[in-house]
Amino acid sequence: MKVLAVEDSKEIGSSIRGFLVREGYICELAYSFYEAREKLALFTYDCILLDIMLPDGSGLELLKFIKTEKIQSGILIISAKDALDDKIDGLDAGADDYITKPFHLPELHARLRAIYRRKKLAGNNIITFNEITLNTDTLEATVNDVLLDITRKEFDLLLYLVINKNRVLSRQSIATHLWGDYTDNLANFDFVYQHIKNLRKKISAANGADYIDTVYGLGYKFNSSKV
Amino acid sequence: MKLVDKFTLWFIAITFLVTPITSYFFCYTLVKKIDSTETARLSEVNATTASRLGKGLPANVPGKGGATDVQRLTTALPQQRTQVRKTDVYNGGVNGMESLLTVDSYVTINGGNYRISSYNYIPSSRQVISTILGTITWKLLLIVLCVVITARLVSQRILSSLRQTMKLIQGFNVKRKVQFPKTGTREFRELNAFLQKMTDKAVDEYAAVKEFSENASHELQTPLAILRNKLELLSETNIGEEQAALLGDMQNAIEKLTKINRSLTLLARMENNEYAVSENIKFCRVVKDVLSAYEDRIELKNLSVRSDFEKNVLLKIHPVLADMLINNLLGNAVRHNVQDGHIDISLTQRKLEIRNTGLPPEMPTHELFQRFKKSNQCSESVGLGLSIVKQICEVCGFYISYHYSDQLHTVTVQFRSQPREAVRAVPGVSLVNSE
Repeated sequence: MKVLAVEDSKEIGSSIRGFLVREGYICELAYSFYEAREKLALFTYDCILLDIMLPDGSGLELLKFIKTEKIQSGILIISAKDALDDKIDGLDAGADDYITKPFHLPELHARLRAIYRRKKLAGNNIITFNEITLNTDTLEATVNDVLLDITRKEFDLLLYLVINKNRVLSRQSIATHLWGDYTDNLANFDFVYQHIKNLRKKISAANGADYIDTVYGLGYKFNSSKV
Repeated sequence: MKLVDKFTLWFIAITFLVTPITSYFFCYTLVKKIDSTETARLSEVNATTASRLGKGLPANVPGKGGATDVQRLTTALPQQRTQVRKTDVYNGGVNGMESLLTVDSYVTINGGNYRISSYNYIPSSRQVISTILGTITWKLLLIVLCVVITARLVSQRILSSLRQTMKLIQGFNVKRKVQFPKTGTREFRELNAFLQKMTDKAVDEYAAVKEFSENASHELQTPLAILRNKLELLSETNIGEEQAALLGDMQNAIEKLTKINRSLTLLARMENNEYAVSENIKFCRVVKDVLSAYEDRIELKNLSVRSDFEKNVLLKIHPVLADMLINNLLGNAVRHNVQDGHIDISLTQRKLEIRNTGLPPEMPTHELFQRFKKSNQCSESVGLGLSIVKQICEVCGFYISYHYSDQLHTVTVQFRSQPREAVRAVPGVSLVNSE
């Protein structure tokens, strides 16, 4: 996947690139409105990460440019203002999704992948990892072709883990992914733990390998090297 | 007591104090003046009589009225050549008590000693005093009446500026500047100038504080994002357990900071009226949606939920706020619940009531809605949830209350936008216990 991250903060930009490059993506950075416009005119990208607040223009302007130029990239808006209007403006202008600062990198990645699936893989909704198969349309998960009896949240969690395999996923990031920005994530840690526990139980009941590792003090990790 | 009444009373008191004193002086000088004028006139009559006698003319001075006696004396003239006598006499009839003023002049005419006496009746002091007293009483009554009436009429005009100022001050809101009226009265002008300065300053300071908090929370987002992302990247490097624990603590702190920042921004936004709405939303729908979002956590805690929703509950509230309100309340009901506990949610046209089991509160319950107040200070929540709830209720004109009894925490949100009669008309609706 080829990604353009339009983000005026160099530190955030480098974090995003660092994270995505490890996934094997090509990630280019643009720090300003004009830089981004130039790159968009010259190259094509699968996905564009778009910061709304740019030093020399608005990300929404850039969004208009993308639409008038009929650039077929998936667009994920990064908004510092979490005003609802900004989100709606962005989505109305043709963005595919939005995420507010400060975001978790795995969350950004998961959303990026969701956009990519919808836009570029022609809605291919099957994600497979070894014996685990996830269907994002029907929300069904199978292990060794056995349908798992899992809840919606457990499905979301498993998908999040598989997409971000071999990454340390903090409990905060999992809680945000499952319940959104506005719930008290610290208070939800117990629930994260219980969901993980149930998921492990259900996968091993279907004779799946125990991929989910607990990372002491931090969170969890989907370890793909276990067989 | 009203200002005008105070002024009136003082004025009347002063009038009552001053009038007797002035009346006394008035009487005294009037009587004196009458006496001295009459004495002077009679003395002159005596002198004329004496000179007429010297010329051999008849003793009575024509056209001077009164009466004159001339008497030849055999004795020597007394030391005092002019003597004045004043005696009160009762004349009967209409005049009553009068004073008789007599002036005796002792003169020597053509070698003979004479006493010439002229006398006249004048009003007695008592007559003067009684007349004056009558007048004074009428005058006093008239003054009091005039003062009472005019004070009311005039104060309307004079104090109108003060009244306007008070009205402005009562309706003052730090979010908006006010313009005090111009007035001709110096004191009011000073008062208005002072108030103008004070309110302008309050408005400016409030705007500055607001702007600061808005900017601060916005500017904090980028550094927070950097911190969070770098920690995430760091946690994927080759680190030991000890470092992982340190990183975990840092991530928790950042999470908390993010949450506080977000909540404060939200509170500021609500104070700015950024969530004003004009149309109704289906509140029952929101409650159902949020409840279903909590399904997994309710299940994990093995809570039993009894919900009783009336249909078509329409409320004037911004969808984001509605979502946040229910989210916070339900979140609390789940989080502060006990394992295998119970939640009871009822929604009617008038109110939303959430009852849940849980440990008894450890702090005065009225403090729960204050910012950063938590019943357990070291708990991991931020302590802004209920103040957000309260702010949302304020914005929407709802009334929220909390009470704890029979091991049940009850939060009630009354939708006051409903007509009050409707609330009263229904028996058995427990009005909120204000704690």
